[in-house]
Amino acid sequence: MGSSSKDDSGSDGEASSGDAPPSNSGLFSEGERVLAYHGPRIYEAKVQRAELRKKEWRYFVHYLGWNKNWDEWIGTDRLLKHTEENVLKQQALEKKQGVDKSSKLGRSAQTKPKVSTDAKVDKEEQKNNVTKGKKRKSGSDIEKDNFSVEKLVKIQIPSTLKKQLLDDWEYVTQQDKLVKLPRSPNVDDILTKYLEYRSKKDGMMTDSVGEILKGIRCYFDKALPVMLLYKKERQQYQDAVKNDTSPSTIYGAEHLLRLFVKLPELLAYVNIEEETLTRMQQKLLDFLKFLQKNQSTFFLSAYDGSKVSEGKGKGKDD
Amino acid sequence: MEAGGNGKEREEEQDGMSVHSPCKAPPSSASSLPKEQSQVELELRLLEALEIYPPVKLRGIHRHFVLYGLMEFLRRSFDRYFSPDEVLQLLDRFYNIEMLKPDDEESEILGHEEDFTLPQSYFVKEE
Repeated sequence: MGSSSKDDSGSDGEASSGDAPPSNSGLFSEGERVLAYHGPRIYEAKVQRAELRKKEWRYFVHYLGWNKNWDEWIGTDRLLKHTEENVLKQQALEKKQGVDKSSKLGRSAQTKPKVSTDAKVDKEEQKNNVTKGKKRKSGSDIEKDNFSVEKLVKIQIPSTLKKQLLDDWEYVTQQDKLVKLPRSPNVDDILTKYLEYRSKKDGMMTDSVGEILKGIRCYFDKALPVMLLYKKERQQYQDAVKNDTSPSTIYGAEHLLRLFVKLPELLAYVNIEEETLTRMQQKLLDFLKFLQKNQSTFFLSAYDGSKVSEGKGKGKDD
Repeated sequence: MEAGGNGKEREEEQDGMSVHSPCKAPPSSASSLPKEQSQVELELRLLEALEIYPPVKLRGIHRHFVLYGLMEFLRRSFDRYFSPDEVLQLLDRFYNIEMLKPDDEESEILGHEEDFTLPQSYFVKEE
């Protein structure tokens, strides 16, 4: 244990001074996904580097979904392990911030807040002025908080489609049924049909819509196995999607709709101007309305109850 | 003989300019300048846009949305339509997109497999 300035406790057999191997980086390790305090909230982050400075572990973290400019050195006092318990903490803080949202925006714009019928908002503002001073210490902090308020695109899913999602959940998770694959129309077909529909309506300049639809297909193909499947569907996925097949040629509206539930999260990782985001929102909403209009042709009204693994027998031809 | 400036005008007559129009600077000789200017302007704006939409993002899963963002930015700056191809061509002057290494953000988003869940709000009945 001969290295000069290393008085750290609990580390064994470390390397020469300067490069602490990941296993000896204190409580958190390099590459670990963690939760970190920033301002009044907790964000998902990743430890990029760990260093021992003056007997304390310091971690260089990157906030997931945020520009690298926000990366910073922080101590263990601002770090949390990524556990369910801590995630709940994060959500609790988020909720709390939600109440202050409106007042926050007004303040940072340096304008007098609009006369609000809700007196509570004003009271919250006063409270914020006192307790949340930290937030306004540096301009960048405000930016980040406002950024996060505006950042998440709101995708309003029409109510009949929400019902579709609930039925979908019911069939798969409660009734052990599966969507019969391959689907027709599949995701590709649906996106193409929508582009045709829009071309007829707009007559021209469908490149913007086209680009967005390409983006959706791209997300769908990558995201399907990662975040759009219920556990019970994983085996089916393995069987149905071989090496270079795109999910968008196999799956259909049912799974495409699930993508829209996750879309705000996915889009949060891209920096997009507010104005552009608004336009995108409108286009996405229009697409959802198109799905709704064609709900009976695009979506299955019944899922397949026969389990392939259980051999033949349980056909659905009663 | 008229002044030098107007003499030029005579040459422009074929452009449909009346030889009688006095003291007006002939537009066509000056028009080559705005054209260069507008090219520079175009490139400047593009570089401005790239601060928001870094080229490296054109390699990842968000690339279509990034391209859309660039299209919109330029459309607003110049008040005209830009096609995706036009934007890519402009970019081509500055970057060889294929050579860019996609950043590791994708592994953050797609690295962790999780089961799909519907948000709680779906299960709350509001009658």
